[in-house]
Amino acid sequence: MTQALDMDARVSQPGSARAAAASAARSATTSRFGTFAITFGIAFVILYTLFERWNWPFFTYHPAVGRLDFWVNQARPEDGPPMFWYGWVVLSAMAAAVVGFLATLVSLAWLQRVTVFCCVLAALWPACAALAVVVDERASFNAEFLRSVWVVGIPALVGALAVSYLVSARWAERLWTSWLLIMPIGGLAILGYSLMTYFTR
Amino acid sequence: MDMLLGMISIQTFWKILLFVHFALAVVLLAGVTLQAVAVLMPTRQTIGNVVDRAPVVPAASYTTLIVILYVLQALMGAWIYVKYRTYVRIPMEGYRHWWTVGSFEFKEHVVTMGLALLPAYWYFWRQPQPDQHATLRKWVTVFLAFTVWYSFVVGHVANDFRGVGS
Repeated sequence: MTQALDMDARVSQPGSARAAAASAARSATTSRFGTFAITFGIAFVILYTLFERWNWPFFTYHPAVGRLDFWVNQARPEDGPPMFWYGWVVLSAMAAAVVGFLATLVSLAWLQRVTVFCCVLAALWPACAALAVVVDERASFNAEFLRSVWVVGIPALVGALAVSYLVSARWAERLWTSWLLIMPIGGLAILGYSLMTYFTR
Repeated sequence: MDMLLGMISIQTFWKILLFVHFALAVVLLAGVTLQAVAVLMPTRQTIGNVVDRAPVVPAASYTTLIVILYVLQALMGAWIYVKYRTYVRIPMEGYRHWWTVGSFEFKEHVVTMGLALLPAYWYFWRQPQPDQHATLRKWVTVFLAFTVWYSFVVGHVANDFRGVGS
């Protein structure tokens, strides 16, 4: 009886090993897809907000005449209104897919730190731009140079570098998935604010 | 397509399309709302009122359906959006319905944010569900429910201006 049980245990071992290997492989595949999905979501949201604000569509569609133009094309008035939304979505999706794929090639710890850098930069840049507008309006000297998107980018870049350098690996890991909710809400706040003219007329 | 348009007028075609968009929106709304309620109130109770005793929805089983419907609805919305831009928005601006125009503009962004989160949403609901993502899974689901509800309400208001039955 004991021998039989031992035999059973020996026979079942290769099966268990195969099952464990299959489980590990499935888990690795899942986590790789998870890395892609989480990075894709964060990158898509940031890029879409940027492309919308800078008006960088992949193409412009003119529905009245059914014409598609590469990049931005402000058509003649007789061609009807141009539509950029499709172009922003397509460009953001393509760029985010590339970013998501690249994310699966690097180590998770490095990816989490880079994500902190990108997300803090994405948050600080518009914050610095808003601050620059306030300073320009209230300053006694000519501070119009502060309104340049590149000038306000410098403190944002320095701040993002500092935060991503100083943040601990544990915090970067804890924050990584949280960006997936923080970024869409922040993006919607920026995009919603840009539509204020419709609500204050 | 030409054969179809030979049988019905172009206006009828767009109205049918808009109605299908609405009908699918109702299904999506029901699915995502049930799932959001399930993650917000996961405990089964045997006593209390009707709401308390409602059977717990097998939330994970809706995930693939919600993803497919969300993408389908975004594509249909993108198609109908062409008509909205030329046929609805211009008179809407003429009548100075700025709140409706602005809300619909915001809807574009809300739907896009929802689309961006779909792969992660699907990943978080996959079996086996890792406990480490439970909180995020809950809030991503709630966020998706918000995007669907917002789009539904704003789309309905725009439809009332010029659409099916208006």
